Amino acid sequence: METTGSIPLRRFGKTDVQISALGSGGHHIGVAKDEKTAVELVHAALDGGITFYDCCWEYCRGKAEDWLGKGLKGRRDKAFLMTKVCTHGRDGTLATQMLEQSLRRLQTDHIDLWQVHGMCFANDPELFIRPGGAAEALVKAKKEGKVRFVGFTGHKDPEVHLAMLNTGFPFDAVQMPLNPFDGTFHQFSFEQKVLPVLKERGIAVLGMKPICGRAEPVKKGVFTAQEMLRYAMSLPVTTTITGFSDMATLKQNLEVAQGFTPLSESEMQAFRDRARPYAADGRFEPYKVSLQFDNPEARMVHDFPIDMQQIETREMVAETQNSGWPFPS
Amino acid sequence: MEKNFAGSEINTTPDLNTQPELSRRRFLQAAVVTGVSSVVPTAAVVLETPASHAQEIHPKANVPVRAMPNPIIPNFQGEYGSSSTPGFQIPKRPMGSTGLQVSILGMGGYHLGAALSQEIVNDMVAKALDHGINLFDNAWEYQGGTGEERLGIALKGKRDQAILVTGVCTYGRKKDIAMRMLEDSLTRLQTDHVDVWQVHDVIYYNDPELAYQVEGVLEALTAARQQGKVRFAGFTGHKNPSIHLDMLDRGFHFDTVQMPINPFDPSFRSFERKVLPVAVQRGMAVFSVKSMSGSGESIVRGALTPTEALSYAMSVPGVSATVSGMESMDVLDQNLEILRNFKPLSDEQMAALREHGRQFNDGRYELYKTTVKYESDLGRAQHGFSSSKELPA
Repeated sequence: METTGSIPLRRFGKTDVQISALGSGGHHIGVAKDEKTAVELVHAALDGGITFYDCCWEYCRGKAEDWLGKGLKGRRDKAFLMTKVCTHGRDGTLATQMLEQSLRRLQTDHIDLWQVHGMCFANDPELFIRPGGAAEALVKAKKEGKVRFVGFTGHKDPEVHLAMLNTGFPFDAVQMPLNPFDGTFHQFSFEQKVLPVLKERGIAVLGMKPICGRAEPVKKGVFTAQEMLRYAMSLPVTTTITGFSDMATLKQNLEVAQGFTPLSESEMQAFRDRARPYAADGRFEPYKVSLQFDNPEARMVHDFPIDMQQIETREMVAETQNSGWPFPS
Repeated sequence: MEKNFAGSEINTTPDLNTQPELSRRRFLQAAVVTGVSSVVPTAAVVLETPASHAQEIHPKANVPVRAMPNPIIPNFQGEYGSSSTPGFQIPKRPMGSTGLQVSILGMGGYHLGAALSQEIVNDMVAKALDHGINLFDNAWEYQGGTGEERLGIALKGKRDQAILVTGVCTYGRKKDIAMRMLEDSLTRLQTDHVDVWQVHDVIYYNDPELAYQVEGVLEALTAARQQGKVRFAGFTGHKNPSIHLDMLDRGFHFDTVQMPINPFDPSFRSFERKVLPVAVQRGMAVFSVKSMSGSGESIVRGALTPTEALSYAMSVPGVSATVSGMESMDVLDQNLEILRNFKPLSDEQMAALREHGRQFNDGRYELYKTTVKYESDLGRAQHGFSSSKELPA
């Protein structure tokens, strides 16, 4: 693959670790055409300068971690490897079991960044920090050297993120949606409400959903995918996670990331102004205002209704390939 | 044994007294302590009436995404009598600063539109009036107009006994459309004026901005008031307190405001804590809605009894009236029976219910705040959202 310069490296929070400004999304690896394609994608991404690899215990019922592990085999030291734990409020002991499974699938003895997946509901922070909760597993794993850094992710509501931060747990990284629509959706703007807090505390910021998840604004012609990616990468973040399931998409992303120079503040403002008419009701951020992108497993743990007669719910379940059973083998 | 929040005289037999509390405790343990092991896919409650079924009953009905009949739960039988006491009158309260006295329970219009026939609606409205219910809520968009039409027929000759409320469904569109909707509403309701005209479903984050624009819907409210077609103005919504506050803070004088009030609300995006005090301070009338989570989700799953749900809403200081949907005489009778035994809950009872509700503060019983389920197709279309067919929730 042609390269037009390397992807800039950025500092991971307060640490001395440097990671690439573009990160690889794990779900897309798991939904690649086949294992061979997935492995080739990881190799090409490594060659293209991507050092940050996202994944998650529950993506594609383990397939995503399996395939990423195969892709990284023999090249593990070139990658900063992140995966997530999917307790959704359940006990820390379950989290530890999940970690062991993740390590096996990823064929490694340690995870660089282990994050609590999908903080979505108002009581998630409380369930996380409670005695016996996932917080204890994070501390334990770090102490045992199985993970280097810990963090949490979520796409729903900045208030939930702030409540997670207010638990006082020492997070190294936080992941959240960052794109031009988020930037102007006042009520639910992670950029406005959470990003400044993270900068102040020196916590690494991981952006996701740079093209709003399913690229709806691109399909509707409001932005190009490249524009949206450039916006997200120009924010004061450590990396922007984006998914690719085929070489063409990877190439398109690398073209933006290699030799990347951030947009100027006036360019950023122009992007926000363009997004504003669509941003204020959340139409392009369904992960904040609807069930789209919700996780059936998390919903079940919270006893949230899952109505399989609803098309959206069926899609949600099919997409994540999660059955809601706590520990798929 | 926990206290019965709604007063001891309702449940007299031991069976009926313990059943709801026990099932609720089990439910709490299942949800909070044991987690996923007790929650399997088959346990998911399906509250929707299939669209096709609704279409058969009401050819004009939209896909019923907004509200479903309040459930009658076999477990809770006996909590109500089979008929209400003749002559029993529902108490009234001042309706904010309007000078009107409003019954503490109001009849929701959407459910009237979903009742089986006009005759049932006629009987229900007559019975409600007999028992002193004088608040009738509606909206231009309910069942494509059927909601208003049915109420108009049922109130014929009795219009002066009712405080008639309807909603204008502009969703960001302007005054001219609002005024046309008002004419529709007046025609359907067979009257020359509505007592309260409310901007309906202010639920999108930019709705306040759009309502306040030049030639926006608020100018229609003012004009209609000047023309005598409307006595008082207000707005409704259920999404986020911040939207309500935005609407209030921009300066328009509203007489009424409608908001969700239930034991789950105080610990999750709370209208009771954030909006109610502002409304009370301004002397506005507050109509509470969603006492049973919108479609009875909290009732079906045993988190609240209907008595607790209505009693809570009607006991919150500052609430003028609680609007509840009733689609059959049975439900009206249930509500009348709850009202007959109603004594405002004590501070301790209220605190206990709020504490109980706090355990579900992930929004599971307030889907109108967390999902698009309660957003009508009309509103969705105005805001570029998928229809209820594509995105049912």
